[in-house]
Amino acid sequence: MTNSIDEFEDASVFMVIGSNTTSNHPLISSRIINAVRQRGAKLILCDPRCIDLAPLSSIHIRHKIGSDVALINGFMNIILNKNLEDKTFIEERTENFEKMAEVVEKYTPDYVSGITGVEPELLVKAAELYASTKRSMIVYAMGITQHIAGTDNVKSCANLAMLTGNIGTPSSGVNPLRGQNNVQGACDMGGLPNVYSGYQPAADLFVRNKFEKLWGVDKLPEKKGLTVIEMGHEIEKGNIKALYIMGENPFISDPDAKHMHRALKKLELLIVQDIFPTPTSEFAHVILPAACFAERDGTYTNTERRVQLSHQALPPLKGTLPDWKIICEISKRAGFPMDYNDPSEIMDEINITTPSYAGITYERLEQGWGIPWPCPSKEHPGTKFLHKDKFTRGRGLFHVIEYIPPAELPDAEYPFTLTTGRIRPHFHTGTMTRRTAILDREAPSPFLDINPEDAKSLRVRTGDKIIVESRRGSLKLSVNVTSDVPKGVVFSTFHFKEKNINELTLCAVDPVAGIPEYKNCAVSIRRS
Amino acid sequence: MKRLKKENLAPFLEEMNNKRTVYCPQSVDEKDIILAPLGKGKITDEACKTSISFKSMLFPQKEEINNFSKDGVEKILDTGKTAVFGVRACDFRSMEFVDAFMARNEMKDPFYFAKRNNILVMTLACNCPVSETCFCTDTGKAPFLEKGFDLQFFDAGSFYIVESQSREGDKVLESDYFTGSDSKDGETLSKIKDNSMKAEMQAPGFAKAVEWLKGNEPEPEFWDDLATACIACGGCSFVCPTCTCSNIFDSPSNGGFMRFRTWDTCMYEGFSRETSGHNPRGSLGSRLARRYLHKIKDDPENYGVSGCVGCGRCSDACPVGLGMIEIIKQINRI
Repeated sequence: MTNSIDEFEDASVFMVIGSNTTSNHPLISSRIINAVRQRGAKLILCDPRCIDLAPLSSIHIRHKIGSDVALINGFMNIILNKNLEDKTFIEERTENFEKMAEVVEKYTPDYVSGITGVEPELLVKAAELYASTKRSMIVYAMGITQHIAGTDNVKSCANLAMLTGNIGTPSSGVNPLRGQNNVQGACDMGGLPNVYSGYQPAADLFVRNKFEKLWGVDKLPEKKGLTVIEMGHEIEKGNIKALYIMGENPFISDPDAKHMHRALKKLELLIVQDIFPTPTSEFAHVILPAACFAERDGTYTNTERRVQLSHQALPPLKGTLPDWKIICEISKRAGFPMDYNDPSEIMDEINITTPSYAGITYERLEQGWGIPWPCPSKEHPGTKFLHKDKFTRGRGLFHVIEYIPPAELPDAEYPFTLTTGRIRPHFHTGTMTRRTAILDREAPSPFLDINPEDAKSLRVRTGDKIIVESRRGSLKLSVNVTSDVPKGVVFSTFHFKEKNINELTLCAVDPVAGIPEYKNCAVSIRRS
Repeated sequence: MKRLKKENLAPFLEEMNNKRTVYCPQSVDEKDIILAPLGKGKITDEACKTSISFKSMLFPQKEEINNFSKDGVEKILDTGKTAVFGVRACDFRSMEFVDAFMARNEMKDPFYFAKRNNILVMTLACNCPVSETCFCTDTGKAPFLEKGFDLQFFDAGSFYIVESQSREGDKVLESDYFTGSDSKDGETLSKIKDNSMKAEMQAPGFAKAVEWLKGNEPEPEFWDDLATACIACGGCSFVCPTCTCSNIFDSPSNGGFMRFRTWDTCMYEGFSRETSGHNPRGSLGSRLARRYLHKIKDDPENYGVSGCVGCGRCSDACPVGLGMIEIIKQINRI
């Protein structure tokens, strides 16, 4: 997030796009709910589905799945035609504006309406509302990123914010909501194929030299690593023979589960490190049982970049170790001794290697409620919102982005669009929440949301069984008839191992980030 | 009536701890006051609101109730002697409500009463509201108790004035830490009580709403509108000192299995879902209606006691401003 969570309190307009906030980030949603209900802030909701925030929205845009770039280009077209852009901000803080504007010219309300299926008048209203204040916030989540145009979608959000000068000041910015309590921290620490901690590029010789010196090793690889999806392909080709998975359940969470099944079976060595057995660990040759959050010390970096300290509350179960200790033991046996007495010593090393974490020490974290990075020195208070006065790269770059359609559009054979997501009681593949009696009772079984009109033509009612089929696989599911999904769209979740919806999804990925298009694939439905 | 110097509170509780496990409010950091066994933090000697009431001592968030092994079924009754200090009048009244609920239909809940029959409750009256969401006087009750308690402490500055109303209470007052009362203590006590009744606190108009609800009910749209704010976290139920809904589940244990009881909440969709899948409380609005109406409309009718004691915890906990105070205000606006 460029903003901090508290800044939601003072925002005037929220544009929530591709985030089912109440289901997935309920406490952040409560900030939006209170802002709208208690002080009259406005909500522009861009979501094909009627999510819990819908009744609170001033404008609800139910655009076609995967048409986000066209939608946002359309907003920018309207803003430019009505002279609602922030000329000073564009002039002083950005570059490449003209080239972007040139492309956006094509995206007139009528043209965009043709792609998105949204009435031109509604587009105009939404664009005007977003541009009407200097306290407009964009809030997004996986509905923006899980597309083959995921990177384009993110850049489009940035374009829109820069165009109206809605970034770099309090309560205005671009706010991706992170889906796990420490996914921000994992990325910050270089849990990505192309960077070291603090997003220092592995391709940069200077960076590599720095880490070689600090770690006392020769020749760190300059080649970019693989993304999860690429790993699956490389295993199938026989180029990867061993895989070490920590705290992830790709057999359920990755697209095209049959493909993942083949890949996991082909491995000569699979190591799975987790707190519970998972469907993925059933393929494992070695299972390393890890201690859970309450059984270890450590830090978590949340969605607002705040690094927070967490203390051990219970001794680890017999036979388990905190993840960091497991990694150290493996490393020692592999010939590179890592000797840390406790996590604070790891943080000491992070302070040296990672400029944005340089001033975040355990000593300081003990004193308060966490520090948001960047925090370049021990005297620095941390950073509430990003891009004040200057962007990381200097001037903010307007990207020129054209709309591309999703990888697999519905056709005569597979006439429905399947989109997937999460529901409130469960987290991801349910390896934790489905072990909790009340949470599992709340949502005990998989389902497929379907629009009443589609249900009528298929002659099915809520509770009836249907076969939903894609080019990759088929599943038998109960239907839930609801106008929460538009006609032609069906929704399901990836929480249920007994009916893994990812047997249907496809491996098409965003070319930059490698993220799969979970939000869109074509399926057919027939009565069971 | 006796006196206890405040400096003697901790030694007195320590002395009692030899016979019973003593719980009291303790501050563990600058922000939180928790109810915990002695020794967790600094004892709070003034009236305060713990984030969870002492209901959790009698009806814990999670408890083992049955052990199923090859030797048979064991009913697990926790009969350990406990005591709790610093219970406010509102929380004490909530226990009276839970007592009635747990003994309804002449069927006493054995797990609850095993603990209930072995607890000594020492209440501490509030001289003034302890938080911005206190509203006991608005519910028609006082910030102190008139009857039913073992021991009631009143804060008189450097010492407490302590009243006993039971033999158990009298026995406790035999401890050397208590001293005889002054002739003026009766007068001081009246003054404290008068002032506490006059102290300004939240006044959403509880009686007015309760009266109106006797012949009326808000339209479903009223609740549906509130439901657009509710995120169904269930926090209101978990902090409520009179909420008693529970769930039961089994977990493998030593070759057999253990049956657990945990808190549950009627705010969850699955709570009222029937086996067929039909849900008589299918919408969030209807669940909000159920939760709030049963506290202030049905409970008084069924148990003769209000289901709300005015502690204000639901208003403290709710992230979207839908605690009892706000609901009462909204009802009074209809």
